[in-house]
Amino acid sequence: MADNDLVNVKIDGIAVQVPKGTPAIEAAKKAGVDIPFFCYHPKLSMEAGANCRMCLVEVATPRKGPDGTISMAKMPKPQTACSLPVSEGMEIETQTEQVIADRKAILEFLLINHPLDCPICDRGGECPLQNNTIFYGPQNSRFIEEKRHFPKAYPLSKHVVFDRERCIHCARCTRFTDDISGDHQLAFLKRGADMYIDTFNQSKMVSKFSGNVIEICPVGALLSRDYRFKARPWDILSQKSICTQCSNGCNIKLDYRVGRLQRVNARLNEAVNEEWTCDKGKFGMDYVSTDQRLVTPLIRRDGALQPATWSEAMDLVVQRLKEAGKSVGAIGGARCTNEDNYILQKFFRNVLKSNNLDHRLGTYLPPAQSGLHARLGYHTMGNAIADFERMKTIFVIGSDLVNEQPILFLRVRKAWRFKGGRIIAANPAATQISEFADPEVTYRAGAEVALLNGIIKILAERNPSAADLPGYGDFIKSLAGWSIEKAAEESGVSAERIRRIADAIFSGETAFIAGKAVTEHPDASAVIEAICNLAVLSGNAANVNIPVTQCNAQGAMDMGLLPDSAPGYTPVEEPGLNTRQMLEAAADSNLKALWLVGADPVAHYTDADLAKRALGGDTFVIASELFLTPSAELADVVLPVASVAEKDGTYTNCERRVQRIFKAFELSPDVHPDWFVFADASGRLEQPLPYFSARDILREINVTVPLYADCSPQKLGNEGIRWQYPSAKSDLQLVPVEYRPLAKVTVAE
Amino acid sequence: MPETRILLKHRDEPGIEDIETYERLGGYTALRKALGMERQEVINEVKSSGLRGRGGAGFPTWIKWDGIPKNTNQPHYVLCNADEGEPGTFKDRELMLKCAHQIVEGIIIAGYATLSKVSYIYIRGEFVESAKMVRKAIDQAYRKGYLGKKILGREDFDFDLYIHVGAGSYECGEESALMSSLMGERGQPRLKFPHAPLPVIAGAWNQPTLINNVETYSVVPHIIVNGGAWYASMGTQGSKGTKIFSLSGHIAKPGNYEIIFGMPLLDLVELAGGVTGGNLKAIIPGGSSVPLIPAEIAKDFTLDYEASQTVQYRMRTMRLPVVGSGGMMVFNDRTDIVTLMLRTAEFYAHESCGKCTPCREGTRWLYKILYRIVSGGGRPSDLDILMNICDGIDGRSYCALGDAAAWPIMGSLKHYRHEYEYWIEHKRSPLGDNFVPPVPNRLNLNFELLPAR
Repeated sequence: MADNDLVNVKIDGIAVQVPKGTPAIEAAKKAGVDIPFFCYHPKLSMEAGANCRMCLVEVATPRKGPDGTISMAKMPKPQTACSLPVSEGMEIETQTEQVIADRKAILEFLLINHPLDCPICDRGGECPLQNNTIFYGPQNSRFIEEKRHFPKAYPLSKHVVFDRERCIHCARCTRFTDDISGDHQLAFLKRGADMYIDTFNQSKMVSKFSGNVIEICPVGALLSRDYRFKARPWDILSQKSICTQCSNGCNIKLDYRVGRLQRVNARLNEAVNEEWTCDKGKFGMDYVSTDQRLVTPLIRRDGALQPATWSEAMDLVVQRLKEAGKSVGAIGGARCTNEDNYILQKFFRNVLKSNNLDHRLGTYLPPAQSGLHARLGYHTMGNAIADFERMKTIFVIGSDLVNEQPILFLRVRKAWRFKGGRIIAANPAATQISEFADPEVTYRAGAEVALLNGIIKILAERNPSAADLPGYGDFIKSLAGWSIEKAAEESGVSAERIRRIADAIFSGETAFIAGKAVTEHPDASAVIEAICNLAVLSGNAANVNIPVTQCNAQGAMDMGLLPDSAPGYTPVEEPGLNTRQMLEAAADSNLKALWLVGADPVAHYTDADLAKRALGGDTFVIASELFLTPSAELADVVLPVASVAEKDGTYTNCERRVQRIFKAFELSPDVHPDWFVFADASGRLEQPLPYFSARDILREINVTVPLYADCSPQKLGNEGIRWQYPSAKSDLQLVPVEYRPLAKVTVAE
Repeated sequence: MPETRILLKHRDEPGIEDIETYERLGGYTALRKALGMERQEVINEVKSSGLRGRGGAGFPTWIKWDGIPKNTNQPHYVLCNADEGEPGTFKDRELMLKCAHQIVEGIIIAGYATLSKVSYIYIRGEFVESAKMVRKAIDQAYRKGYLGKKILGREDFDFDLYIHVGAGSYECGEESALMSSLMGERGQPRLKFPHAPLPVIAGAWNQPTLINNVETYSVVPHIIVNGGAWYASMGTQGSKGTKIFSLSGHIAKPGNYEIIFGMPLLDLVELAGGVTGGNLKAIIPGGSSVPLIPAEIAKDFTLDYEASQTVQYRMRTMRLPVVGSGGMMVFNDRTDIVTLMLRTAEFYAHESCGKCTPCREGTRWLYKILYRIVSGGGRPSDLDILMNICDGIDGRSYCALGDAAAWPIMGSLKHYRHEYEYWIEHKRSPLGDNFVPPVPNRLNLNFELLPAR
């Protein structure tokens, strides 16, 4: 920021320089001066804020007198520091007699109707109202009247319990649902002292992000139903971790007590989740501490899985692997850490000499170097999550973004709400993005290419400079039969709306986000080629994003859990079998042993029947699992492994950000991380892989995988590091895409 | 000193609600004259008249008019605040009922001067009759071509006027809350300068917005016809022209009285026929939001924006206004001040929007303490608590509603502390047999209806 944008302000006599327009409360933070507050939140809009009045300060601004002398003029009323933008020469006093009296008065007002049931309140111990009362509040209350009463523990939603008596009306939660999550669920009803928070017509609060209101509530009014009465804040320990529910890689804190996970709170990471989590992450992580977790290995004896010791299980595994020779394969790794995956591929490639490795369970299983990488030079996301904020337009195609990529959804919404971005969306069915997408079009399922061709047709006419791109001639020829009307007819989207989408893409830098409707499309590669054409044509070749969906699928790709590439996308000489081929081989008894690493094909693979045949056949199936999943039930050996809370390591999220997780507690001494199991098996095969910790393995990855050279344990820090491709792709080209209506398409190989 | 009727000149004219009558009496000549002037000339005329906002705060009107950006393609709006909710004030109601065309004309002139195309008149929900009269006036003005496209043949001047009827909130008379309410949001005030831009820069829908009171717009046609200098020739140094006072209470002839600024307070009481039913005890001169003035010192006050009364508390000295919105309530010596304050506190507790802590909690607490005192449960320490609460509300609340709730009680504690002490000590009114107990109130009923824990 340039110097002329900075202003000098004094807070309690401490001079600081801050950008013009910064809220005074942030300037005070910079000066190291503590100003108490309840309703202020840097991520929420100020419009409906400044209502708790806790941050009142005395302010003086310089005034020029008639004779040219500058004197400090004190504002007659105290001002709220949270909403006051600082200006040059402003002086703020936070310790005057008046300010101290005001804080006392405000706290006394807040407490007259607060039930003061701190001993049975979950927030007790980490409650801003408690803290501020202790530091700034009056010693005792002079209020002898009856307090406001409401029914306790009102069930607001599946996850949130609401105690109206404790509410201090700060409006943080209502602003959250308006500004951040966009579901507009909570609002104030009535007025004055009778005012309370409620949903419309007392319906349930329906939100994908309801858990956040629990965290931002400055009192114990909004409470987690799961965590309620489980623990006190001073009983729990906290460990930094990463959410495993999707590929966004939200930074979280695992709060645990006596070896059991109690709750999950968000951890600030401006580059990824800011400070939000989705409900899937916040309330879905409790799988870590359920009683269904496996703690001993299971071996199939007499047709049933029975408990065994580790040495029994490993001896059996090693013996069968020896017998199998090269006819082995592994599916999975999308839920394991990078370290687990690196050792898994090393074990298979170097020890067992097999390239039959795949982490993918979808229908779209392209070679690693094809598709997006061949066209644009990257595999999944061209943009970082934070990049979406600066986009002029964001085009979401074929993605139920709020369910598939919740944190990307929040960024996209932020781009629209606070940064002036325009969102356009095309989906086979209406999604929650229709709140702000303009327009959101609904196309006939499977007609993506038709819709894209219509848009491309318009852009090609407007962008004559594209004629210089290689492949332009063939490309334009392939579009000859296309008109906007034909695209409209094929896709079911009106010509006028196709034009509006093209206008929006043409208006400035545009990011493209494609989701499951594209990757699960029977002709997925054609749709992706068409998206690439659109991006290249509109000059946004670096802005195509087809994020992975599983927790560490990106890391598994990077670590070489692909049949045709080793770690760092080095091509291998003899590509192995992919998921489908492995399952087919197993079903035909052509594969001797199959290792499922945190993968459940029976439940998640598109062709469950094939998966069942494959696992139930002659193939020796080993499953490394947390639970007895439907696939593990069919396995011959089930090995219990550590969950995210019980191991160290790194995850790579969908934007390629490598982030560390830390071991919080231990489930049982018999539960090991996946890499330990492979290292153990390798040792029993007399080819030891001598690693002692995940840190060791990460150091080796830093050396052997150039893309991960910077991601050393020391450098990752709290923010993580987003690894970059060595160079951007320079030889962009246009490729003709054939449109095949869905009925004529057979399932892609 | 007699009344000087300018705005209420045609009040008693039969058929004044019809545009023909209004035009016969000189109506809409101001609009014709204004359309013949440059836009800036209109604003200069308002400036030279020294007109100040009639809603209560007395902000110079021309500054707002001049502040609307001139060279911009942004839409901007003219709003008329007809949400007259101040207890004791009923001047806008009468202006709308009797002189609606005068308001419409003033708004059109404002729209011309600020290059606006759209305007809204936000009428209090309870003013059904007034809204009907304004509706009628607007329809007639459209028919005559004073509103709509190409007004009076001016190619560059299209102007529409819409009525928005409120839903019964006192708070929505506050200008930023009015804009929230108009935009369909909860009727709560918004950030104000210096926390956010002034309404003339970013008001309704974040566009430049001019907002004035009904009475202010009503003055405008007269200023245009007769010139700003004529208007400025009336009144005092800082308060020019005339002001309508709504007199009510223990007075012989209650009603609206239009007088020139600077009239002594007691002269206006005499003009309205004097106090009935006893001797004068106190006057609330400008709506319930200003502190009351006891009879002993009433002779020191004149009615203009400069007049103020001083209240001192702890480290602060406050100069509180006298004129306000012009709702003058006169009380004779059979009035119990504590009960009067109880009623005032009940009003503000009921009307507090609930946005900010001091007003939401403080107004209700004030009411509860006063209720306890008149129910016989007062304690000597209550008076300090009352003063303390008022101090915590005044100047700390989000908008002026909190101040308005605190000032009357601060004023009464200054002048009538002995009556409070009598109540607390004897658990009955100092008026003895003359005391009329308050009617059972709504607020407490509400508490009893709430489910017990």
